[in-house]
Amino acid sequence: MLEKGKISSAQMAFMLFAAVVGTVILSIPAISGTYAKNDVWISPIWASFAGLIAIMTAYKLQSFYPKLTIIQYAARILGPFPGKLLGLAYLLFYIVMNGHGVRIYADFIVGTTLPRTPLIILVATMILLCTLAVRGGIEGIGRAAQIIVPGYMIAFIALILLILPNCNAEHLFPILEHGLTPSLQGSIPPQGWFAEFFLISFLLPFLSDKKKAKKWSWVALITTTLTLVVTNLVILCLFGRNISSYTYPLLTATRYISLADFFENVESVITAIWVIGNFVKFSVVHYALVLGTAQWLNLSDYRPVAWPIGILTIIISFWSMPSQMALSHYTTFVFPFYSLLFQTLIPALLLLIAYIRMRDSKGDHSS
Amino acid sequence: MKHKALIVGRIAALLGILQMLCGCWDRTEINDMALVTAAAIDKDERDGIELSLQVFMPRALGSNSGGSQGGGGQKLTLVRSSRGQNIADAVSKIQTKLPRKVFWGHCKVFVLGEEFARKGVREEMDFLARHPQPRERAYMFVSKGKAIETLNLLPPLERYSADMMRKLSELKIGLKVTMKDFIIMLGGDSKAAALPMLDILPPEEGEQPSQGVPYIAGTAVFKEDKLIGDITLQTTRGVLWLTKKMEKATITVRPKDAKSGFITINPNHHVIHQTPRIVNGKWQVLLSIQTSGDLVQNGTNWDPMNLDLLHAMEAAVQDSIKDKIELALDEVQKTMKADILGFAEDFHRSYPRQWGRVKNRWDEVYPTIQVKTDIHVNIRRPGLSTVPVAIPEDEVKKK
Repeated sequence: MLEKGKISSAQMAFMLFAAVVGTVILSIPAISGTYAKNDVWISPIWASFAGLIAIMTAYKLQSFYPKLTIIQYAARILGPFPGKLLGLAYLLFYIVMNGHGVRIYADFIVGTTLPRTPLIILVATMILLCTLAVRGGIEGIGRAAQIIVPGYMIAFIALILLILPNCNAEHLFPILEHGLTPSLQGSIPPQGWFAEFFLISFLLPFLSDKKKAKKWSWVALITTTLTLVVTNLVILCLFGRNISSYTYPLLTATRYISLADFFENVESVITAIWVIGNFVKFSVVHYALVLGTAQWLNLSDYRPVAWPIGILTIIISFWSMPSQMALSHYTTFVFPFYSLLFQTLIPALLLLIAYIRMRDSKGDHSS
Repeated sequence: MKHKALIVGRIAALLGILQMLCGCWDRTEINDMALVTAAAIDKDERDGIELSLQVFMPRALGSNSGGSQGGGGQKLTLVRSSRGQNIADAVSKIQTKLPRKVFWGHCKVFVLGEEFARKGVREEMDFLARHPQPRERAYMFVSKGKAIETLNLLPPLERYSADMMRKLSELKIGLKVTMKDFIIMLGGDSKAAALPMLDILPPEEGEQPSQGVPYIAGTAVFKEDKLIGDITLQTTRGVLWLTKKMEKATITVRPKDAKSGFITINPNHHVIHQTPRIVNGKWQVLLSIQTSGDLVQNGTNWDPMNLDLLHAMEAAVQDSIKDKIELALDEVQKTMKADILGFAEDFHRSYPRQWGRVKNRWDEVYPTIQVKTDIHVNIRRPGLSTVPVAIPEDEVKKK
């Protein structure tokens, strides 16, 4: 086995939470808001079903092939050649996803706090850090998540409490004015993010307490959904139904915080917390990618591929994305479907094939 | 040997990382920045705008606190203005006249000149919303006359005029509108917006012309993004009741049957409900106001401890509130036809389907909406006196 470290189920939950919430909370509420208007807070609830499907399929596949990741069991299910091809497709999917994730993060920092810093510095330093974390093994990332994510949550709750006095619940109404369609449409972009719960398939083989795994993954899913629902509710109550006119609604909301006329301008604190939250996210995806590559190539160690894949991620974060608008277009119209295809649909098909194979092989024995 | 190389390598790496910590190559310290405290936008006589910035002078503050405390009137700010096609253009031109970099992060006040506001404000609001530095919490005003004049003032009580305007807004005598609120109003269903209107109290005789003070004179009414007129502070009070924003009030009335004198109450606790209704195809807004407060002055000879007289006093106050509301409706709804009362939003919330049908001809529907009021005033306490003071007891009307 490539990875000798072990993580606890709770650490896995923290990692998953960060992996999904890290980037989605920045710009996706605005994209959802374009379609859902004042039903925007319902969208994450629909979207969470994508996470549910991703987790369930990952579990079932795991129960068929314990201690293996999708890169390995794809080859078992489909046979060596098609399996390897699918494995490659997965690696490409994750490297593109991570590259664009890092780009979203870097665009956010440059656009709001460090206007004169070159994009490459932000992308490269983040990947440098993630690569070092990945080389430290899954235990290191798990423990980092365990320390960072609770801080992230406390800061998030404090932030929401500080915005609340400025909120006006009237903006919620009318609920479901145009039926369910707007909120369902608005749920498509977050669905792409919720599907990232499929990353669990790279973490499950390394759990020290497998029994609690199911419970903790539901905790992660529910917390993530709640976080997004609360975010969207607060933004909606603050800005009314035109939240799509803000690039980063939650950031603009934190800028509105003012307590007793002197506790103001706290958005840089929030930005700092987002940065470390994103660090966990990119580390988890990078880890999955590096481990998957090592397994795909049948290497004896995954550490040597960490640097090359890090550099590739940096390059991909610049490829084909001339601007933030282009990236936003991609995250609205391409990524959700790409993500759902790879993280819910294909795993479900794999599960189906695996199920049929199992049944057939059992049948062979009995006859 | 290998061990040694490793140690040397590690030390070199550490030293390399240390280089990143000093981060001073592009430092921008406080004395490299021109802190904007207020900005004013006026119409240029040609096509563009004239932007004026009130910039804080930290040095003046230092000398002031160290030496003689001159109180107010000390010049802590300077005003620079420039013309341009839009704000961004004008800022770049102001920058040529300032040795420090313009920084918007502390700008808490934006004043729009009357002339400029009549032309339409949307184009310039975009800069304020898009640029990362200006704060969404900054207060917005419209000034009678040129906006730059409000920046040039040196009000005696506050450090600079921007501070004064901000505090006036926070007192909530008139409307209190932040940039975020203004943008929401402009983009909302009502297609109308309201901002507090500033005027300048002229200086006393013998004082410098800059010693006038800005004050809130009423409310500027916008339709679409253009200023179409303004209403007085009296009418604004009615608007505050109608939009549930009333906080502190001082109501002075003469009760109907009183021979002479006025009573004044300070209602400070309000429960206001504004319910849109559609009854038999007629659009109505039911405004229910419950307000209570203390009696602060009683110039009549009535004894407020007598419950009948107290109710008569309450009735008089109710009528006064109703008059204010009708005044506001008359001007804003019937004459200006600008929905700064937010009726469009209310109907959209409660009757989404019916609202969808009239959405495109809201301008015609809005003036026909009936407002029904249901006002309850409760005078809770008489203050420290019971009967009217300073009149002989036998003249006090006790029944």
